Parts: sequence; C-alpha cells; structure tokens
Amino acid sequence: MVKKLIILFSILTITLTAQTSSEIIKKVEENLNGKTAYMKFTMIVKTSRYERKMQMQSWSEGNDKSFIKITYPKKDEGITFLKIDGQMWQYVPKIERTIKIPSSMMLQSWMGSDFTNDDLAKESSILDDYNHKLVEQNNTVFSIELLPKEDAAVVWGKVVMQVSKEYLLPLNTLYYDEDDLLIRTLKYKKFKKLSDRIYPTYWEMKPQTKDKKDHQTIVIVEEAEFDKEIDSSYFSKRALKRYSK
Amino acid sequence: MKPYLAIALKSIRANLSRSIVTIFLTTFSTVVLIFASTLMDGEHKTMLKNAVEVYPGYIQITNREFRNHPSYDNLIFDEKSTIDKLKLHSDIAVITSRFETSALFSSDTKTIGAMITGVEPKSESQVSKLKTALVEGSYLDANDTNALYIGKELAKRLKVRLGDKLSFISSGADYSFCADNVIVKGIFETGLYEFDANSAFLNKSYFDEVFTSENFATHIIVLPKDTSNSLSISQNIQKELDKSLVSESWEEFMDSLVKAMELDSIFGYFTLGIFFIVIFFVILIYTLLVVFSRVKEIGVLRAIGTTSKEVLTMLVFESAILSFISVVIGGAIGAYLAYYFHINPIELGAEYQEQFKQYGIMSTALPTDFNLVTIARDMIIMFILGVLSTLYPILKINSLTPSEAMRHV
Repeated sequence: MVKKLIILFSILTITLTAQTSSEIIKKVEENLNGKTAYMKFTMIVKTSRYERKMQMQSWSEGNDKSFIKITYPKKDEGITFLKIDGQMWQYVPKIERTIKIPSSMMLQSWMGSDFTNDDLAKESSILDDYNHKLVEQNNTVFSIELLPKEDAAVVWGKVVMQVSKEYLLPLNTLYYDEDDLLIRTLKYKKFKKLSDRIYPTYWEMKPQTKDKKDHQTIVIVEEAEFDKEIDSSYFSKRALKRYSK
Repeated sequence: MKPYLAIALKSIRANLSRSIVTIFLTTFSTVVLIFASTLMDGEHKTMLKNAVEVYPGYIQITNREFRNHPSYDNLIFDEKSTIDKLKLHSDIAVITSRFETSALFSSDTKTIGAMITGVEPKSESQVSKLKTALVEGSYLDANDTNALYIGKELAKRLKVRLGDKLSFISSGADYSFCADNVIVKGIFETGLYEFDANSAFLNKSYFDEVFTSENFATHIIVLPKDTSNSLSISQNIQKELDKSLVSESWEEFMDSLVKAMELDSIFGYFTLGIFFIVIFFVILIYTLLVVFSRVKEIGVLRAIGTTSKEVLTMLVFESAILSFISVVIGGAIGAYLAYYFHINPIELGAEYQEQFKQYGIMSTALPTDFNLVTIARDMIIMFILGVLSTLYPILKINSLTPSEAMRHV
C-alpha cells in the first residue's frame, strides 16, 4: 500500500513539475511577446574591430507573425523582414527585390549581428518543440531546462532558461549544441515599466565560442506597446515593399 | 675475375636461344615496369597539377586562424603591405589576392546560397584556370562594376543566362548588410561540379566597395617561378610574414589529396608487385630448367677441379650479364615510351571525360612522367630481380657433388 502511494506521489510530482515548468515558459512567452507587440529598438553590434548601430521597428502578433523595418543607418534604411507561415522574407530597397530566406540560411547571422535568422523566424517554438523541466529554483529564480522533442526540427541541443520569479520574464538564456557545449548566452537586464508591463529593456547576446569571443550584440528596447491591435496588412508579402518607405 | 667473365660470355653464346629467351623476358618486364610506373606518376602529377591550377594555386597566404574559423575576424587585414613584402621575392612570378565569402543569390525565380569572391581579374587569370574555363560571354576586367562571372552549374540552378540580372545579399567585412544587383557577364565551367555549382566572381575593386573590404583579403595566392619548389618558397615567404599570417604550399593545404595519391601509388605498386612475382617465377623456373640441362657440364667442370665457389661466380656472372643486357635494352625502350607519351599524352577519348571530372582532371589526355630517376630506379629493381630469380637454381645445382652432377640424367 505504502509502495503504491509512493509511486502515485512520484507520478503526481513529475506531472506537476512538468506542468509547472511548461506553464512558466508559456507565461514567459506571453509576457515577452504579448498577444501583439510593437517595439522600437536599437541594436549595437560589437566585434573586435567594429561597433555598429542599427535602429528598427517591429510589429508582431504572438510568436507566428512579425514584421521588422530598419530605420537607421541610412545605408540600410527601408530593409524590411517578414515572418509568416514559418517562412522568412526580406525586402531590400537597393535591389528592389523581395527574397525568401532559404532554410539553409536560417543559422546565418541576421544583419551581421549575433542573432541568427532563426532567432527572428523562430521556426522552432520554445513552447511546443521542447520538453521542459524545472531543474533548480531559489527565492528569485526558476531554472528550466529545455530539451528538444524527439522529432522536433530545432537548432539547439539544449536550452537553459533562468526566469525571474518576480516578473516571470527571462533573466538569462543559455544555448547549448548537441554536444552540450555552451554556444551563446542571452542576458535580459534593466527591467522597466513599458506600456502595460515590466519589460527587460536591455538584451545582451554573447557568443561563447572561441572564434567569436570578442563579439557581442546589444538590443536596447526604447518603446513598446503590447496587446494593441496591429493592422493585418503588416503581415503580408506586400507589406515588405509598402512599409519599406 | 676476367676468366669468369670470358667463360660466362662464352656460355651465353653457346646457349644462345636460352639467353635470348631470358633476355626477352627480363626486357619485357623492364619495359612494363618503367611504362607502368611513369604512367602512374604521370596520372598523379596531372591530377595534382589540375587540382592545384584550377583554382587553389601553388601557395596560399591566409590568416593563421582562417582555415579553422573562416570568419571576418580572421582576415588578412593589411593586404597591400603584405603584397609589397612579397614583391621583393625574386622567386615569385605572380601575386594576386581574393576575398571569399558567402552570399544569397536571388534571380527572378530562385534564391540560392553560394560563394562570392572578389578577384583581381588580370593576375587571377595567371594563377588559376578561371579565365580559360570561360564557356560563354567574357571574363572579368579591372573596370567592371556590377558584372558577375558565374559557374555554369550555379547559373543553371539560378536559371540565369548571359546578360540576365540577379541580386546578391551578404555581409560586408564590417558585418554590415550589403546587397547589389549584378549582370551575368560570363559563365565558366571548370568541370569540377561542386566549384561550378557554388562559385561566382566579381572584380575585386568593385567588390571592396560593396563589401567594405578595402585592403582586406581572405587569401593571397602566390605563383612561384619554379612551381616544383613551392614548399621551400612558401617556407621562405613565411619568414617575412606577419605572425598572424601563414603561408602554405599546395602540398600542405591539399594534403588529403596528396595522401590519396600516395595511397593510390601504393595500390598501383601492389598490383605491379603481383605481376612481378609472376615474372620472377617464370624466369626462376625457366632458369631452373636451363641450368639443370647443363648439370653434366657443371659436373665436368667440378670434376676437373673447379671449386663450387668458382662455378657460382661464373653462373652469377652469366646471370648478371644477361640481366644487365635486358635492363639496358628494356630501360632504353621503356624510357623512349615514357618520353614519347610524355610529349604525346595518351588520349582516352570523350567517354572518360565525366569520370575524370570527378577527380578534378579537366583533360582526358594522360601524359607519362618522364623522370630519369624513376627509370633508373626501375632498371635497378629489374636487374636485382633478374639476378635473384636465377640465384636459387644456381645454388641448387651447385650443391650437387661432381659425381652426382655427372650422373644426372
């Protein structure tokens, strides 16, 4: 009888933990992306030789649709990106052409930054394509390990997300490859009130591999609006050229 | 020594038909060995020469980290001063620089990722086969701006023809975004499928503007005056280079191909070895029969007081003279054939073209490698084999006592 109870208790604990960790991730995604979001941000790309600054605006609906427009520097102004139906498109005014980013290029750098096309396209979903496990927690932080589901087409071998208990927002995300080697870290800092919520306004992406040891990409979120209706015209291929100007 | 030589010569003359057959066998084997090894060496040299000259070049200078981590952090950051240093070398014939990166090419119907490289059209044409590989349109020139020189297979994949417009997007050397429209100026075909399906070239001065890569390069290619000396010239260059740069000759950066050729040579010699074991036993059996037909003659020699050592010396002399004559004749014929087919390569015809392309050989003509050292080596091998194959029968017969020998039927 006691044995049965222990087994039942263990199953319950495992199920509850799994639910809890998945719920945390779901909440984090909601807090980070909102139902819809409009943002204005600056991206600073630092390498051993250069430091470049770009400014852009983005419109997104959940995790499936997003539209980005580069507004600075002059040279790149008007370049637009669209993510719909799990595909990523780009319009470049200089060549007046809309290009579909092929899946073979998904791991390539986005605009020379340490973010990849996949980070923007998010072909894989943190919520649906990974199994979540709460591995550690203290008074302020949940540590959740994300391991890809067996048949999920994902880029990472493991992702560890440290989540603030207070805000239910990420503090640090560690990305590992299939050999369990830490490839990059994304830190979220400077939590401030933006629109209707507390939001991390300073994101710091740092590659951890030897070949990119001097690289760093910083995203500074300047403005944000959440859960306000976004014109559906932003999420069509025509928008790429239309909103480029 | 002289009397043995005289007896040996006399014996050769006395058994003329036997001598001619022995000479014929050894001569034939010598010709086969020389021809086969010079052809094999020729084939390997042609393969390597083709593989080196199509595009990689004899000596490459890169950033020390570039081969393991080919990123914009590992470039040659002062291309001009590096080239100025190289210009002082008297054993360098041509220097050219390249900037190699990947880009997304987009035509009206297709978008494909491939390599895009900025080259200096004139000097590039002297270090690689890019210009001669032209099949349509024209090669790049130093004033070209938005002109693309594209591999035939890549053009086919992108569905573009001569004069068509296509776009590329990529990252500049400062990691900034870069894109432009270009017109297909020329289409090339080297025969190397992977290369033709993944490469496109731009004039470097235009490339540098678009990719913000002024005074940067991924590779500096050096053509030495004496290409057979690439390794030592590369080592000399290294001494004067900045520590962040490395100079490597083709033997170093194409070491897997060199090793593959060496392995192929081992298999080649192994096959030849089987052939020679057969020849060795044919001569051995033939000599055995011949020597035993002379057993009475040897018995008489021994009976009149010739020691077994003297008989041995005499017979070895005989064998050595026959082998020497064969090797000289075989060497001369083999050398002539090696020379003839070096000048007039064997033409295998168009049906082999496809197979050859897979190995990086653009032409189906196979020249032999006329190399006197190889020929001399093969002659020595055959001489030793010739003498060795007669040694057993000679020792066998010499072990008989004079009375046994004379009684021998």
